[in-house]
Amino acid sequence: MRVTPEHLLVERCRQGDETAFRELVDQYKGLVFGLIARSISNRARAEELAQDVFLKVHKGLPYFRGESKLSTWIYRIVINVVSQERPELASVSLDDDDDDRPRREPGSEDRAFGDIAIKDRLQKAIERLPVPYQVLVNGHYMKGMRYEDLAEALNMPMGTVKTHLHRAKRRLRHLLETELR
Amino acid sequence: MKQHCDDLEPLIEAIADGSHVPAAEDAAHVASCARCGGAVERARSIENFLAMREVASPSASFTATVMTHVGREKWQTERVIDLGFNLAMAAGVAVILAGAAGLAWSLGFLTITIDTDTIVQLLNREAAGRVLSQVQTIAMSAVLLTMALVLWWWAEAARE
Repeated sequence: MRVTPEHLLVERCRQGDETAFRELVDQYKGLVFGLIARSISNRARAEELAQDVFLKVHKGLPYFRGESKLSTWIYRIVINVVSQERPELASVSLDDDDDDRPRREPGSEDRAFGDIAIKDRLQKAIERLPVPYQVLVNGHYMKGMRYEDLAEALNMPMGTVKTHLHRAKRRLRHLLETELR
Repeated sequence: MKQHCDDLEPLIEAIADGSHVPAAEDAAHVASCARCGGAVERARSIENFLAMREVASPSASFTATVMTHVGREKWQTERVIDLGFNLAMAAGVAVILAGAAGLAWSLGFLTITIDTDTIVQLLNREAAGRVLSQVQTIAMSAVLLTMALVLWWWAEAARE
């Protein structure tokens, strides 16, 4: 499928071209829904939120000045929508998050990490991460998601993204080792 | 030994995803320490699960639903514009009527009894003089009428 250059697509959308907006939705719906569905396990709700993202995009396009990439702007809206859905996890500061304390003493019983239940436990653990960590962990492993777009959408310097990603995964491990064992 | 484990703890994820290659001493420790070795194993399991997670796809009707919502929002916006247009038109008509009434009153047309003499008076020079003396009122009425027409044009343009 031929992809319309971003600036042309935005311009056509701004002029009220519904075909162009449909094209935009088709282009981004996979990433937007995929990202949201990884944070919100209720599929119907995830779909509603993804639709909400595109309605916000449609409303906001006349004000989109093109200072950032369209994808970055859309991911920023995704982050806002997920943050509104999980306000208790949205305002958590990541600055002081240096959760390096070992949580588990050697020799304690280990629930098998390879069993099927890990999927559910991992999903539950991800849903308990602060929203920026969720977006990082969910987006990093999605095909088509650009690392730099995520960093920009999260207002994180590129140099710190990897550090935050490692912290997020460490939190997951600690949660799986302790509260979600 | 415990100190070594604590030092390595922040590096477990980086070791697990391969972005950090441990020094020989650290690698030997990880290989021999149940706690650190276990942590690296668990971090690798998490890494693998994250990498292999399926990406959910939206329903087939997703785009159509979004477009329906967009259409509905557009319709609601149009309704508001229509309401604004109707109100503007009503206000415009009211202003014009008020202006016309004011003009008629100032010219002496608006009296309790209007007889043919009044019309005859309008045709004579004295009436012409009166009209000239009311140029300001006439100009104001014209401005108001123009404003009403501009409002109408704006509302029509916005609706399109």
